[in-house]
Amino acid sequence: MWNYLEKSKYVLGLNARNLTYLRPSNTSRAIRIADNKLLAKRILRKAGLPVLETYGIISNPKELKEFNWDSLPASFVLKPNRGLGGEGITIVYGKKKKYPYPWVRADKRTVEVEDLKSHISNILEGTFSLTGLPDVAFFEERVKLIKVLKPYSFRGIPDIRIIVYNSVPVMAEMRLPTQESGGKANLHLGGVGTGIDMGTGITTTAIQRDRIIEYAPTKTKPLLRGIQIPNWKEVLRLAVHAQEVTKIGFFGVDIAIDRDKGPMILELNVRPGLSIQIANLTPLKDRLQRIKGLKVKTVSKGVKIAQDLFGGEIEEEVEEISGKKVIGINEPIEILDADGKKHLITAKIDTGAYRTTICKTIASKLEINNIIAHKQVRGALGSEERPIIDISFVMDKRLVDSEAFIADRSEMKYDIIIGRRDLKRFLVDPAKNVFMKRKHKNI
Amino acid sequence: MNIFSTSQYLIGRGIPEEILILLLMLPIVATIIAFARQVIGIKGFDIYTPLIITFAFLLTGLRYGLILFALILVVGTISRLIVKKFRLLYLPRMAIILTSVSTIVLLSFYLNNYFNLIKFNIPSVFIVLAMVALIEKFIVIQIERGIRGSILLAVEITILSIISFYVISWGWLENIVLTYPLLIIALTVAINLFLGKWTGLRLTEYFRFKDVIKNVELPGKK
Repeated sequence: MWNYLEKSKYVLGLNARNLTYLRPSNTSRAIRIADNKLLAKRILRKAGLPVLETYGIISNPKELKEFNWDSLPASFVLKPNRGLGGEGITIVYGKKKKYPYPWVRADKRTVEVEDLKSHISNILEGTFSLTGLPDVAFFEERVKLIKVLKPYSFRGIPDIRIIVYNSVPVMAEMRLPTQESGGKANLHLGGVGTGIDMGTGITTTAIQRDRIIEYAPTKTKPLLRGIQIPNWKEVLRLAVHAQEVTKIGFFGVDIAIDRDKGPMILELNVRPGLSIQIANLTPLKDRLQRIKGLKVKTVSKGVKIAQDLFGGEIEEEVEEISGKKVIGINEPIEILDADGKKHLITAKIDTGAYRTTICKTIASKLEINNIIAHKQVRGALGSEERPIIDISFVMDKRLVDSEAFIADRSEMKYDIIIGRRDLKRFLVDPAKNVFMKRKHKNI
Repeated sequence: MNIFSTSQYLIGRGIPEEILILLLMLPIVATIIAFARQVIGIKGFDIYTPLIITFAFLLTGLRYGLILFALILVVGTISRLIVKKFRLLYLPRMAIILTSVSTIVLLSFYLNNYFNLIKFNIPSVFIVLAMVALIEKFIVIQIERGIRGSILLAVEITILSIISFYVISWGWLENIVLTYPLLIIALTVAINLFLGKWTGLRLTEYFRFKDVIKNVELPGKK
């Protein structure tokens, strides 16, 4: 009980979100930008960030009368600027070739110019805006769903919500539209949210209505865990860029991945939902506090911090299931010398070699060059007899006792390569340690 | 003490005691609502709705107040679902819903009196009017959160109003309010200053985030 209360201090609640993060980080100017879809889009586009194209804006009946309908492409989305819960949105997927050249909707119904006109006058009069105040209608590009995500979503477009604070992406979640949510990616309407490992962009836990689920509620019911978000690093970069441009200190950014154009910013949200913590099974306050006060100078730095600090969930899971440690291609190890003292050195993991090989000079420096046997090896340069020594080293907190070749490696980049013989208790992930210099746990 | 005489003075100056009590109770109820939101986590949406319902209960009696409230909600929801099909503009749409609600309320009053079902006097026209007008708020919530969310909210608000109702009709508190009116005002301001700076988890959030909390690794445990 006491423990539970202690642990709960790491979770971000609504009170703290509003008082500690929303207000101090965001000026009223920033909040105004985020709340106005068209304004946010204009600012982001000006800075050269990918946003959905606006085909046209209609803000009064005069503009409606004079609108050039031929300027519209075959596929677009018609939206009210201050629409609520997705009401009043019309999506068309194509255009018929015969007179009167109507557009076609998902359910094969056709839409003619006259239909659009009456729909837009409704929007202008405020039929779909909550307050009933006059609204603005606009035509927007339709995001094309990427194939990888198709089996997981019902009708609409999944997006990736990333919470960014102080130029660092702090937590991410993929939001999938379901039948229950009416094809909208909103979690409070019944959409599915999946946590995302910040390091790799692979999905972890999934939730629907704040409860953990395993399979997507679609026809084929695919597993929601382990989906790789394409272009993950670019998605993260985009999120940080959006913060840099808008100067909104704390926000959630929604990014969709278009089949042809890649990641695109959909919307900014200064009051991001907090279920993202459940989808990641990770508290947000803890992460925010670790980021607070950091001076993040570049976008790449922000992305790197996020991947280093908050990545590694997938790895932990794999380690738990397999009982093996996940290591990268270049792994820091500690070799024990004759006195049992540890010496840090970077080793190359080489699954092509059977036996570990260490450089002669290092072996003699550590006084472990006591030759216990010789063995014939056939290499590219013909047959050769190599001496074998006893060696012990610690890799990823595991002690390995082994026998290694010694050879002259003074011309090589690494003084030691670790072979298959010593890798039986490890799994090698070639993607690891490419951007992570040290294990996230040590930071 | 002259604190006591504050109430006496006001009553002496022609302010009815009932009005005085109601006006002094208002900050207390408002504080209860603020507490319910910030500390317990009852969602609610504003301070006005539960306040009006509480005072309606006070004037009509709890039982009849509840019946009236339920009637208004049900009729409002049904008429909304019917009117929705016509795709009307917001204000005319809402006007039709309000018309149907007030008609049904009127009809129910008539039927009640005709068959002499329950003794029910309508103490204040305005309170009935205010409750009917509340339907607009609920319709907006329904559009926003769906039927399910709005039912949950209605239940929460009702419970909150019932609690507030019992607090206001508590004789002891009434005495305190009359005896120390300035103290009550100062106290509610102080409590709300505290509530306004409260950044802890809400009670409901301990439950909502239970899976996250269970997963937290305390730094000392490594």
